[in-house]
Amino acid sequence: MHLQFITMNIGVIILVGLILTVVSFITIPLIPVRLKSLLAFTTVLIIAIATSILALKALSGIKTEELFYGGSIFGNIPVRIDALSSWFILIVNFTCVTGALYGIGYMKSYESQKANTSLHWISYIIFHLSMLSVCVLQNSLAFLIAWELMSISSLLLVIFEHSKSDTIKAGINYLVQMHIGVVLISVAFIWVYFSEGSFDFASIANFFSHHYPVWLFLIFFIGFGIKAGFIPLHTWLPHAHPAAPSHVSGVMSGVIVKMGIYGILRVVFYLNTELILIGKTILILSVLTAFYGILNASVHRDFKRMLAYCTIENIGIIGMGIGIGIIGKGINNQYMMLIGFTGALLHTLNHSLYKSLLFYSAGNIYQQTHTRDMEVLGGLIKKMPATGFLFLCGALAIGGLPPFNGFISEFLIYSGLIEGIKTQNVQFSTVMILFVAGLALVGGISILTFTKSFGTIFLGSPRTQLHEEPKEVSLLMRVPMYLILLVILAIGIFPNIVFNPALTISSNLCGATTISENLLTISPVIAIIGRVSLGLILLIVLIYFVRSRVTVTKASVFQPTWGCSYVAPNTKMQYTSKSFSKSLAKLFSFILKEKKNYKEIEKNTIFPTQRVFISHYDEFFEDNFITRINNRIFSFMNYFMFIHNGRIQRYILYGFFFIVMIIAATLLNLI
Amino acid sequence: MLSLLLIIIASLFFTGIIIRTKSILSGRKGPGIFQPLKDIWRLFKKGAVYSNTSSFVFQIAPSIYFASILMAILMIPLGGHQGIISFKGDFIFFAYVLALGKFFMIVSALDTGSSFSGMGASREALYSLLAEPAFFILMSSFALLTGYTSFHEIFSTLHFGTYISYAIGALAAFVLVIIALIENSRMPIDDPKTHLELTMVHEVMILDNSGFDLGLILYGTNLKFAMYGGLIANFFLTPSYEWYFSIPIFIGVQLLFAVIVGILESFMARFRMNHNPQYIFMLTSISLLIFLGVLLVLGKIA
Repeated sequence: MHLQFITMNIGVIILVGLILTVVSFITIPLIPVRLKSLLAFTTVLIIAIATSILALKALSGIKTEELFYGGSIFGNIPVRIDALSSWFILIVNFTCVTGALYGIGYMKSYESQKANTSLHWISYIIFHLSMLSVCVLQNSLAFLIAWELMSISSLLLVIFEHSKSDTIKAGINYLVQMHIGVVLISVAFIWVYFSEGSFDFASIANFFSHHYPVWLFLIFFIGFGIKAGFIPLHTWLPHAHPAAPSHVSGVMSGVIVKMGIYGILRVVFYLNTELILIGKTILILSVLTAFYGILNASVHRDFKRMLAYCTIENIGIIGMGIGIGIIGKGINNQYMMLIGFTGALLHTLNHSLYKSLLFYSAGNIYQQTHTRDMEVLGGLIKKMPATGFLFLCGALAIGGLPPFNGFISEFLIYSGLIEGIKTQNVQFSTVMILFVAGLALVGGISILTFTKSFGTIFLGSPRTQLHEEPKEVSLLMRVPMYLILLVILAIGIFPNIVFNPALTISSNLCGATTISENLLTISPVIAIIGRVSLGLILLIVLIYFVRSRVTVTKASVFQPTWGCSYVAPNTKMQYTSKSFSKSLAKLFSFILKEKKNYKEIEKNTIFPTQRVFISHYDEFFEDNFITRINNRIFSFMNYFMFIHNGRIQRYILYGFFFIVMIIAATLLNLI
Repeated sequence: MLSLLLIIIASLFFTGIIIRTKSILSGRKGPGIFQPLKDIWRLFKKGAVYSNTSSFVFQIAPSIYFASILMAILMIPLGGHQGIISFKGDFIFFAYVLALGKFFMIVSALDTGSSFSGMGASREALYSLLAEPAFFILMSSFALLTGYTSFHEIFSTLHFGTYISYAIGALAAFVLVIIALIENSRMPIDDPKTHLELTMVHEVMILDNSGFDLGLILYGTNLKFAMYGGLIANFFLTPSYEWYFSIPIFIGVQLLFAVIVGILESFMARFRMNHNPQYIFMLTSISLLIFLGVLLVLGKIA
């Protein structure tokens, strides 16, 4: 009886959701521009609440499943909400709701573009729905349709400012790369279908149980990895994220990339053989991804691009968790397996929180200054104190520093790696200790990256005179950010509210019925970390309180910064972000290639005129691989240029030839 | 509790001993051992000058820096006595909480908008990030050796038996000494006595700090030295020692550490800036040697 109630529930919710969506599609273009975003937000909120209830139910152990009959082509379409789906549904919902709420304020400056705004919000709703569908649909064909809808709606969101050529370029780049991913995923699904005769996801498990799994897994991994942004499949990210409006970048970086992770995790849990090989490969690739991502983030001056590279870094860290988990499963070490997967799940959640916070702060800055170049900014914390504070918190959280949430998941991944060092094999120990060192180095570079970004954008004095004086953004835009900050702190101080569910999810998915004693000790440890973090906050408050009490009686004066006796300093003399990270970039110059464009002053020039110096860092993979391959393809395609000659008569002739060929082939029984 | 008290006591003397060693070696009369403390005390009583360009970040940073060091000290054990805070994997928290303090010091240096401070901040960020892997490899190797992951458990089960293990102990002490020197911006990475802003690392970051805040930062540095001294002392303490053995050993190690720093500073010049990264990264390879030694001890490789 109880079960029936739930199955009814899911059908009802889908129906209500669809009706609501259709209604909002019709009404959004008709209502005044101010109300469009409000209506979209309400729709997203209602859908989010409804699906979150289902997800929470699934988390508490009630598995929700219903079959829909999809005609002769689809067969049965199972809609399953299991533990993994519900975890991702909750993440998607939270980020989409904050994104829509933030978007209300952010889109105010675009109110003149009515049609564009309507399209934007309709795409946003489709985007949210398609992501939810991706999480629950377990029929390959239906899944692919949802996946495709997700890619296309997010493309429409990215190219909101389509009058800019850069944006269109980034959009097309995104579209093409996503479709390479779709092709691979489709190939993988078709392979499974021809081998097992079913579109149900459960048949993937059957396939893995009596075939050699590595090749199919590789195809899945590349397909989903393009979405997630593992190197060398990451090249769309640094283009698409900066081009999109900030609430969209926040949602994309927060959750759409995570759909790739969802896909990988879904397939990983069906694996049963060759685990060590796959785990090691993922682990190595992830460390390289994290390192490459953060290294690029440290040198870029466009702050949204910096954040995009930082997403790549975090995907690497999540991947490390997955890799540790798979290896743990492979060597039958339950502690390592569960801690790896739990770490990956938690980091997925944590990253979606602080990355959306950071992207929204970036949106605040962009809205007020109309630039993404941090070298022209400076001293913004005086004009926008709330934004500055929120960015600072986001920066601390993403650096994995206590008392914020990032530390919890990084701690778990470190613990998993250290457990890996202790396993029997020497080769294992050596590899794992190098990964520990790698993760530590990545953490260090991320501190450099974010001190640089925060310092250059918010501190010091303004480097250039901006057209308009920036001021703090509206309360409407700040509310979702405070909401995220609250969740971040809650996870930092009471980590068990998310750790325990995540642990349950990963043990359910791995089929671990009993949890070993070793693992039961980790939850108290996590609780201690929370308490210690709280203690740290209190200690800081105490010391600051003492300091304020002592200094209040003393005279304090404000004077210009010490300029080494130089009396005419100007704001251009401040340290730039480029010079801040220059010494690091020089150390890793084999990856970070700097391109300079300038003319030397000739020897006999007496009065040099004004000249230009331009330098930028190349994207290693794009320049060395993607562009080269592209160029090859282009030059090969040149041989067929005679076909594409622009004469209408010829094109009609092609059609005629084609028809003749078809008829001839039919007559000769060739087809 | 004991370790906290001892570290605080050691911190009172530490810089004084370094300065005294240096003055004896260079044949000067030099200031007394308590001079640095007197300086800090005077700073605590002074008013402050703030930069016009600075914001609230500049004002809270020293407090956070100091709190982060105190928090890290709470985790240091002493022989059989565990630190006030002790849990599995506490060395990860130790490293990250110190990084929190460093984050704020770097950011507060950038808050002044001075080109010198920015330069120092950039160098400090680079050097400390390069030193990070060495610490993690070191601690993970000991985790492998002992099978535990908290400072207390590692140090209380660590016992030296074979020749290789003595070598490991010596190397570990060496790595920790160098890490302490880097973290406290001493020779040969940084020269605390230089008067040229362009060649400074840590000193230039705190050029604009004054009064109570500067006092906090300077005392924080003393505490940090004593903290690393305490960590090194733990290599020579075993839980079987009674307190009347372990406390003299602790003090002895701290004293020796301070004198070694003094001697190093008297006879060495600061490295060229572009040699520093290589030097710091060398630490990582030394910690890999420790890891190799651990594998040998455990008989994993013949």
